[in-house]
Amino acid sequence: MPHPPRRPSPPLLRRVLQTLLGLLALPLALAQEPAAAPPTAGHGSYTIVHVAKSRRQTADHSKFQVLKGPFKDSDGPAVTRACLTCHMKAAEQVMATSHWTWNIAKDGKDGFGKSTLLVNNYCISIIGGNTESCARCHAGYGFKDKSFDLTKPENVDCLVCHDTTGDYEKEKAGWPNPGVSLAEVAQKVGAPTLKNCGVCHFFGGGGDATKHGDLDDTILKAPRAEDVHMSRQGAGMDCIDCHASDAHKVGGPNYVIPADRREQAKFAGESVSRMSCAACHSDAPHKSYILNRHYQKVACQTCHIPTYARGTLPTNTFWDWASAGRLKNGRGYKEEDANGYEKYNSIHGEMIWARNVRPSYVWYNGTLKFTRLTDRITVPADGRVILNPAEGSYTDPNAKIWPFKFHEATQPFDPILQRFVAPYTAGPKGSGAYWGDWDWDVAIRMGMETAGLPYSGQHSFVKTTMLWPVTHMVAPKEQALACTECHKRNGLLAQVPGFYLLGRDHGTGVDLLGFGVILLTLLGVGIHGFIRFSHGRP
Amino acid sequence: MRRVVLYEGFERFWHWAQALLILTMMLTGFEVRGLGLHLFGFQRAVALHNILAVTLLVLIVFAIFWHVTTGEWRQYIPTRKFLREMIAFYVTGIFKGAPHPVRKHRMAKLNPLQRLAYFGFKVLIIPVQVTSGALYYYYPNLQHALGWPPASLWVIAVVHVLGAFGLVAFLIGHVYLTTTGHTPLTNIKAMLTGWEELEDDAYFDET
Repeated sequence: MPHPPRRPSPPLLRRVLQTLLGLLALPLALAQEPAAAPPTAGHGSYTIVHVAKSRRQTADHSKFQVLKGPFKDSDGPAVTRACLTCHMKAAEQVMATSHWTWNIAKDGKDGFGKSTLLVNNYCISIIGGNTESCARCHAGYGFKDKSFDLTKPENVDCLVCHDTTGDYEKEKAGWPNPGVSLAEVAQKVGAPTLKNCGVCHFFGGGGDATKHGDLDDTILKAPRAEDVHMSRQGAGMDCIDCHASDAHKVGGPNYVIPADRREQAKFAGESVSRMSCAACHSDAPHKSYILNRHYQKVACQTCHIPTYARGTLPTNTFWDWASAGRLKNGRGYKEEDANGYEKYNSIHGEMIWARNVRPSYVWYNGTLKFTRLTDRITVPADGRVILNPAEGSYTDPNAKIWPFKFHEATQPFDPILQRFVAPYTAGPKGSGAYWGDWDWDVAIRMGMETAGLPYSGQHSFVKTTMLWPVTHMVAPKEQALACTECHKRNGLLAQVPGFYLLGRDHGTGVDLLGFGVILLTLLGVGIHGFIRFSHGRP
Repeated sequence: MRRVVLYEGFERFWHWAQALLILTMMLTGFEVRGLGLHLFGFQRAVALHNILAVTLLVLIVFAIFWHVTTGEWRQYIPTRKFLREMIAFYVTGIFKGAPHPVRKHRMAKLNPLQRLAYFGFKVLIIPVQVTSGALYYYYPNLQHALGWPPASLWVIAVVHVLGAFGLVAFLIGHVYLTTTGHTPLTNIKAMLTGWEELEDDAYFDET
């Protein structure tokens, strides 16, 4: 029989082969990660942004006679009256906002605010007689107690938000520091910058960086790595670039409006909320399709804010009121830890401070359920009350995995009425205030009386946790979390429930079964091969 | 004995390309699952795994086309003829040097066990992996649209992973059985070059 000739490959087949070979090489080319580009200064330039902003101003306020004063020292209301001669509706607008009322109604219930019934994990509450010192941050003049007239337009403080000189300062009850030249400040008013918002919002909880962890004074001089948006080396943005306002109502208070709830528009004229990353970055900002799809379930912040308190200042993570009041020779004292952070202060108790803190991650649909002084609390079995649990779960289409600062504390509590209490803390010796006389019972009794709330006469301390969404201090993209920080066993999302996560979850026994099958196959093959070769018959 | 081309050029290309693709997908897949492999890095492993999956699909489409147009698909039709003899051969005969019960033939180059194994591979393992893989990939798009319960991804993942373990077991058995030719490397050489020595009467003259 003739040897069969080998059939030549038809050209079509060869072409098909070449195409397939090309396709095989394609993944290798596509899988190459682009070389890391050197860090750039971001798309914004501080100078360009701010020149553009100053151009927007259509009036030179130094030319207005009414602003030349002279104003008496601390006479803020006189300045406000001057402002209102032109901006006659401004005070009315401000008075409708929570910057003024310090109160928010939510889901048909009232009292979620500083001046009302909200319980805060840091300073507890201001309404037990502490309003005067806390109202340093009130956008008004003279808020020292319940008698403050919330309807008087001239009490609105225009300057705290609109000062551009940086010289304006407020004192107790919100009065201007007598050393401030009000006429000078009034003639240089403008749109709020980082500093205007920062004088209060950087100092929440009683001190720089204390409360939020992602907002502090260091942002004013931050390198780009601390906050790509607000750093002058970054985009040089101001708070109001995202927290847009509508008739003086500034967007984004986390008591009512989440920073990101599916990007719904919050004000007329917006297509998406400016308080969302997507408003500028779109909802598909990555080159990778798979990274973009994380957007459905993972907040941008989760990967792009790997740690908070990334400036030079530590944020408070633990505040133990129960251990307050230790005295040396009858007087309060302070102790510092190895880093120089205050680890004990008789007026606060034990504290822990930390920098560069890894957030905690929870499902969050934009709603935090806050606690009020009038709410009856059932202390859970672990003794830890979460003051503002986040709502949301995997099955909630509005929820995403969000980074939070979990602030731990102990708070005074009325175990009979099962409510939190508002002690009178800030006052001198002999006033009954806790910081003067070191007696919780008296301080709570006086505080609750001032607040007009019932008190059983007994107090205890319960552990409390408060959640603070982390959304500022966005890091350069090179510092975003790597895949395997979550996609691994015991990774950052180890405790986030309700869904299967690649790399984290392994069906119980599945790997065991798989390796079992492989082992058995190897064993079978091994035995078979051994017998074959030992018989010398391969 | 006669040397013939038992495996056509496309067939060989298809076989080895498929082998390379599946091997790489095993490595990337098991790395992504977190079984201790650190070869590509997670992100690159995921990207590779997905791109290779698409590549494999394209290859499968070409392979189906080739099998249908050449009629070679008939080689994979399972048969019970000589099945018992084949099993007996692997269980006992092979150790005694018994002759192979089925002669390779140009038009019947697979023995009944091979037919069964490859048929199962084509209609069971590959479709299960392709389907579960596609469901896995498009899960975020499908889940809310179709209202699947949250545990559904877990089910998909388990099926896909069990399929992968099955593939590894298949590969081990497959590679081992290639060594059962005249010499341990005979079959692999044939799959590489296409040429194999067949018994004279096994040659089927197409003319």
